[in-house]
Amino acid sequence: MAEHLVTGGRRVGWLLAGLVALVCAWIMPVGHVGWPVVLEVAAVALIILWAPPSVRRAGPVALILIGLVGVLLALSDHMAIAVAAIPSPHGGSQVGGVVDGRASGWRTVLLLQSAALLAAGVWLIWGNSRRLLPVRAGLGTTALVRWARPRRLALLLPVAGAILVLLVEHGGSHPPWNSASNAVGLSLLVAWLFPTVGADLAAVAVVVLALWGTADATAPPPMAWAHAVGGSSLLVDNGTSNWQLALLGAVEAGVILAFGAWLLPRTIVAHGRSVLRPAPDPELAGRVQQLTRTRADAVDTAAAELRRVERDLHDGAQARLVALGMNLRAAERLVTTSPEAAIALIAEARQTSSRALTELRDLVRGIYPPVLADRGLGAAVQALALDTPMRVETDIDLPGRVDAPVESACYFAVAEALANAVKHSGARVAQIRIRFTPDHPESRARRGAGPGMLRIEVTDNGTGGADPARGSGLHGIERRLATFDGILAVSSPPGGPTMIVMEVPCALSSPKTSTS
Amino acid sequence: MRAVIAEDLYLLREGLSRLLEAHDFEIAAAVDSAPALLRALLEHRPDVAVVDVRLPPTFTDDGLRAALDARHEIPGLPVLVLSQYVEQLYARELLADQAGAVGYLLKDRVFNDDQFVDAIRAVAGGGTVMDSEVVSKLLGRRSRDEPITRLTAREREVLELMAEGRSNSAIAQRLYISEKAVGKHSTNIFAKLDLAPSNDDNRRVLAVLAFLNS
Repeated sequence: MAEHLVTGGRRVGWLLAGLVALVCAWIMPVGHVGWPVVLEVAAVALIILWAPPSVRRAGPVALILIGLVGVLLALSDHMAIAVAAIPSPHGGSQVGGVVDGRASGWRTVLLLQSAALLAAGVWLIWGNSRRLLPVRAGLGTTALVRWARPRRLALLLPVAGAILVLLVEHGGSHPPWNSASNAVGLSLLVAWLFPTVGADLAAVAVVVLALWGTADATAPPPMAWAHAVGGSSLLVDNGTSNWQLALLGAVEAGVILAFGAWLLPRTIVAHGRSVLRPAPDPELAGRVQQLTRTRADAVDTAAAELRRVERDLHDGAQARLVALGMNLRAAERLVTTSPEAAIALIAEARQTSSRALTELRDLVRGIYPPVLADRGLGAAVQALALDTPMRVETDIDLPGRVDAPVESACYFAVAEALANAVKHSGARVAQIRIRFTPDHPESRARRGAGPGMLRIEVTDNGTGGADPARGSGLHGIERRLATFDGILAVSSPPGGPTMIVMEVPCALSSPKTSTS
Repeated sequence: MRAVIAEDLYLLREGLSRLLEAHDFEIAAAVDSAPALLRALLEHRPDVAVVDVRLPPTFTDDGLRAALDARHEIPGLPVLVLSQYVEQLYARELLADQAGAVGYLLKDRVFNDDQFVDAIRAVAGGGTVMDSEVVSKLLGRRSRDEPITRLTAREREVLELMAEGRSNSAIAQRLYISEKAVGKHSTNIFAKLDLAPSNDDNRRVLAVLAFLNS
């Protein structure tokens, strides 16, 4: 459906032209039989032209059948005009410009129409039940429904369509039943083309028709039966009623009723239930979108980290341990024959193990700094400040521990900010300020993990010009903090100073004893 | 000389015990957790304690805390802290009481047993031993500061070795210069950094570390 709408721009034009022609034909003054027929045939042809490729691929038989249904539908309006001169059972007499004698000629056409309509209906249900029934196709998966649901149009469209049909039928001078059968036929066609909304329209039309038929049951039988059935009623009105026609009408009415009863719970009732469900909260939808994005980011980051750790281990410590083993084996062999060479190899092995340890230490620090595990964010940032080759003043007031993942994200964020200050800013002094505000209103608004807000400010007196959009690691911080609904703000005018503010909603666990 | 060893990994604990025994230390106790360490230190009052930072029960910095607690009870109790990583924060905490007799070394330093045992003896003797990694980080942090930039390259080397807790003779040996030259450099360093000169090795180390840590 979606690609159909997207690629079929020109075909949509044809459809519109067809619909305009149809409306023109409908409102043509009574008596001008020729032009309306031409217009309606053209309209139906245009609608068929608009049909999706799958319909065209359905083969010539299907196309002929559709065409036949369309043409018959178009003609039946004017059959009604042709026989309308005969007084209706309600006593009203309608003026038509067509002579009585032609009515018998229409009879065959009407029978054909009824048969074609039934055949088309059965064929549509049989062959296209998946398209016709959005329940089976996966309710609400089509682009149209996705577009319409939040706008609550899905319900409005079929209802409006049904009302329009009734208005047109009542407003015109045609006996309603004949045209109502047209409505059913058209609804089926539309239902086929628009699997969801069209199905709703069809269901409503079918049921309205059936109910109307019941209301009309005041007329003496077999009139009541006949009235319930499209074009056949005209024959009855014409005074040429016989039991075969009554039977045909009864069968047709039964089929339509059964069809409506079957269609209703599967289309508009199901749709209505889903449409009347409380509309999705846009804030919630935005939240879901954000969570989806940050979750994907978090997974990517974690995967990249694991790859880095694997690579570092493989190229570093693992390789060194292999060298170590080889050296020791060689020393083992040399120890009796050439003790001095063996000693040299053993010394080398010792150095290798030392280097392996250094590499492992650096790796561990990059994964989860031990001091962070030992003492928490405050002490770890202090340690970081001490390790930074620049004067870093810290002002930290953190009366407890933050969740380990948040701690880690904040630690690496500060580390990145400090590294940037050292590398790019040319600053002499940096300041880190960390505060925790319990029960922060904005934190609650962001639906974070807790009602508190952790605020970290990293300021340096360097040259400024830091821009998160231009990479430089700040974007990485931003993504990392976003996983916890944290935000990053950078103020870094050319000439400095640079101020990086990070805010992460979180909870503070009970304070641990700290010697720092 | 009596030593207490605290290390939770069996192989390392045994290795350390054997190493110290080979260098004529008497192992008063070899424990595997922080509470046991504190008990052993208060009970045996050893000449020196060799302590791993990370110990049970929480496997964070329990060893360091136990050592600091013990030093609180017994001021000046010689403690050499070993760790897989060095943190200046922890170095600061060890140095905070200005009492000396502390050491903070990477575990890898055990590989060079002579230097390692020398470090233990220095701590037992009331000296201060800092890992070269701690010192180089301290210097790195102050490298842009005015007083440090006034030092010559050689003076910086001497300062670094002084901060690690080495004596004049050890520095002279390491840099292949005379002890007299080391003395001259150290006088210059103290003048440039505006520190009160001291002939006492231990007080000199503490002064230098205090300056770098400030």
